[in-house]
Amino acid sequence: MGDVFVAGAGMTRIGRRAESLPSLMAEASHAALAVAGLETPEAIVVAAMNPEEFLGDGNFASNVATHMGFADVPTIRIETATSSGAAALYAGFAQVAARLRRNVLVVGGEKMTHLSTPRVSELIGRSIDPYERSYGATMPALAGLITRALLARHADGAREIAQVAVKNHANAVRNPYAHFPTAVTLDEVMASRMVADPLRLLHCCPISDGAAAVVLTAETTAVRVAGIGQGTDTLAVRHRRDLTSFRATQAAARAAFAMAGFGPARVDFAEIHDAFAPFELISLEDTGLVPPGKAGRATLDGETALDGRLPINPSGGLKARGHPLAATGLAQIVECVWQLTGRAEGRQLDGRIALAHSIGGLATNNWISILESRG
Amino acid sequence: MKETIDGSRCPRCALVVAPPEAYCPRHPVAMTPAALPGVGEIVSFTTLHAAPEGFRSPLHIALVELQGGARFVCHGSETRGVKIGSRVAIEAIDHIYYFSTLGALDRARLFWRRTGHASERVNAITRSVVKRMWKGKSRAES
Repeated sequence: MGDVFVAGAGMTRIGRRAESLPSLMAEASHAALAVAGLETPEAIVVAAMNPEEFLGDGNFASNVATHMGFADVPTIRIETATSSGAAALYAGFAQVAARLRRNVLVVGGEKMTHLSTPRVSELIGRSIDPYERSYGATMPALAGLITRALLARHADGAREIAQVAVKNHANAVRNPYAHFPTAVTLDEVMASRMVADPLRLLHCCPISDGAAAVVLTAETTAVRVAGIGQGTDTLAVRHRRDLTSFRATQAAARAAFAMAGFGPARVDFAEIHDAFAPFELISLEDTGLVPPGKAGRATLDGETALDGRLPINPSGGLKARGHPLAATGLAQIVECVWQLTGRAEGRQLDGRIALAHSIGGLATNNWISILESRG
Repeated sequence: MKETIDGSRCPRCALVVAPPEAYCPRHPVAMTPAALPGVGEIVSFTTLHAAPEGFRSPLHIALVELQGGARFVCHGSETRGVKIGSRVAIEAIDHIYYFSTLGALDRARLFWRRTGHASERVNAITRSVVKRMWKGKSRAES
């Protein structure tokens, strides 16, 4: 297996966007290609979770490639629910690592703000086990079950979870690409409307449009993809023994760190899948970045803040940067690359090793990607 | 009345699931049928205030660990007084499963079993039935 490097990274502003999804993907792709100094990639991997139902468009790899002016470039589409962007990174990584291609453009995006919130919830909810869905289970409902189980184990859990949202919103204020660059207070989070008791509105990520792209290459650059790991679990939440940790994340982390050849202690900062604020706490422990049971305390103590020992979600995370589904796994990579190459103006961290964590479905298909700066 | 819930067991890892599955989620082996008693403990529960299409808010959803090990998703009429670890009974109404706290059901059973005025017993059972009917309404026709 050959080394794989990041030649360029780009993304759109996340939020409510008027442009079509292929246009958003073109914007992100051309930004990444410009940084890479590459006009035409050898191959393209497209990530989109559900353009068939969000947009009514199929054959989406060809749709996007043609729209961007790459009708002659071999393109495939990858889908693993909400982690599709991270899965696409892996598909591009594998092609370059195997030296099937010298470079690959990986682009992910989603567009959904034109639909009503109940409709978007329903479409995202189709990634849930059909039997659980037949009882009205949505993503927030299952996250509500998990949150209650988490709160039962942590006396100060409500404040710990709320602080995740407060921190990530504070980070997003410094990110011009964020959907919600607005600060929120602990009291506002804890008094926000109940969505799936005990999960509240300000614990949940927004519905967003956007796209993100990276160019992977066999040529040496400043950022190397040190490891990528995938972890999976049962589709049905009821088939699992533990609600307060995700096996899929643990397996993905083991695989990614094994490929990288080092452990979580060397990670300087991370982008974590906080579609629901409690998931950031669960995931910090599942990745090994924070010892079991300590993530909430570390968050309240400011260890994961921008100026903390281990900054988490400098972009604002899914919570405040936004969560355009298949864009998200790649938007995390874009943030990590920008941080590692000194392009995260206003929120610049000093670090060499970055970790990105993406959850697919209700933690059925998760990914860990580790990037290493060679500077 | 206590339900028996159809489940299945993995002959390799002994995982029990309900409703039954053809294959174990973790092993490529056929599962064998298992009948599970409709009683268990609340693992977690939530009240959904933005129920999806086909359901009415607030919608109570619980994850219950049945005696015999399978975890089971069901509805409830309310969650007041319910805690993680609460003992509950599972009942089916029109093939939809609901939990109710075992205490209430026990009381109903005691009413039935104890001697006393027939009218009291009938009243108690009527109240119980009305309560069940009310639960049925929390799930909209779909």
